[in-house]
Amino acid sequence: MDQSRFKQFMERIERGEKIEANDWMPDDYRRLLLRLIHMHAVSEIMGAYPEKEWVPKAPSLRRKLSLMAKVQDEIGHGQLLLRVAEDLAAPLGRGRDDLMEDVIVGRVKFHNVFHMEAPSWADAGIIGWLVDGAAIMTQTALLDCSYGPYARVLKRICAEESFHMQHGESIILALAEGTEAQRQMLQEALNRWWEALLFFFGPPEVTESARKMMEYRIRYRTNEELRQKFLTRYIPRIQSVGLTIPDSRLRFDEAQQRWMYTEPDWERLGRMVRENSGPKSQERIAFRRRAHTDQAWVREALIRARAQAAV
Amino acid sequence: MQEKTRSQPQVAELHAGTRYEVYEIFVQHDALQSHHHVGSVWAASPEWAIQMARENFLRRDHAVSLWAVRRADIHATAGEDRDFFAREFDRTYREVSGYADNAQRWKRFKARAMTLDEVIDDVREGNAHGSAHSGG
Repeated sequence: MDQSRFKQFMERIERGEKIEANDWMPDDYRRLLLRLIHMHAVSEIMGAYPEKEWVPKAPSLRRKLSLMAKVQDEIGHGQLLLRVAEDLAAPLGRGRDDLMEDVIVGRVKFHNVFHMEAPSWADAGIIGWLVDGAAIMTQTALLDCSYGPYARVLKRICAEESFHMQHGESIILALAEGTEAQRQMLQEALNRWWEALLFFFGPPEVTESARKMMEYRIRYRTNEELRQKFLTRYIPRIQSVGLTIPDSRLRFDEAQQRWMYTEPDWERLGRMVRENSGPKSQERIAFRRRAHTDQAWVREALIRARAQAAV
Repeated sequence: MQEKTRSQPQVAELHAGTRYEVYEIFVQHDALQSHHHVGSVWAASPEWAIQMARENFLRRDHAVSLWAVRRADIHATAGEDRDFFAREFDRTYREVSGYADNAQRWKRFKARAMTLDEVIDDVREGNAHGSAHSGG
């Protein structure tokens, strides 16, 4: 590696400058960012599936409209992020087609929460409230990312997430204010999602790539810091609506100033993400594959139309 | 089980000379604002770039105009060229902040400092066609 360029690069990072797509960057900076943003993009797109499943079944027209708006946001975020990923991938000879094909052949991972079932309307509420809540925490922690194009897209994404936050709260508040059966449904949904929510932030140990990302100021918080922030913010709110968190060992340790909790099953959930073996993984990937292959003719027609117009 | 995928031709390479390209997108939110850059889309034609841009950037924001510019057509400063934008000396003489002492000095004459915003508000007052002053 070109040592003097690397030194200049690190000095820029340390001065708090933003790196742009055409600037020189170390290969591992590019690859770490690409992996992160590619997974983020794909998670936005795959995240639309569990929500889309609830559009036809949502209990009112207003709920359908807001859920559809959210699905459009997720796909839109996916597209913005793909653009950022594509510019990083271009020097490696990869483009949109490759990045999207990676999803349908299982070469790129997406967040654990989108591999799971959302069997009741309360699940749709919990996804909007807590899954989006957790995603907002991880995304806001990236707002100061040293890579300018990602930081700018995140700003737009976070602005729209503020609607998602209110939307999720609106659904769970309606259920929490409702009948005994509705509150029961909400509790059952929380029970289903709690472990996945803890897993969402990733393992507590700081991996080599996480350490590297902090060095490059791609991120500046560890998984555990974000999980703790999430717990501090959400536990009182979850309890305030009368829900019980399904973890008898959950407590705040005053001495350590941190939440103690039962660890999620890292091995089982990790395998689910790696192997796409969750209850809904294959079904949703099949949807994505069908969308990709069934609409190939449209992508082709757009090109042909332009080729003909040019003659 | 992973289903075997049909192999897809790379759409971008189907027709030499025409392909998907990156378009940079500029939005004008109202007639008194300039267009500003919001991001980019990947599209088969300028027309589709504009459609995609509306879906990606205007799901909520209001706008009056949208530009899509082929990225390849943009001329830009070199990303790492800091010198081009260097400020080699103090330029506060060009700015309001360079004259902050005026207010204190007016006080001595028992008069008040005046700002351009006040003048704008004064001139606009009662004009039904003027927009409420936004302060810039």
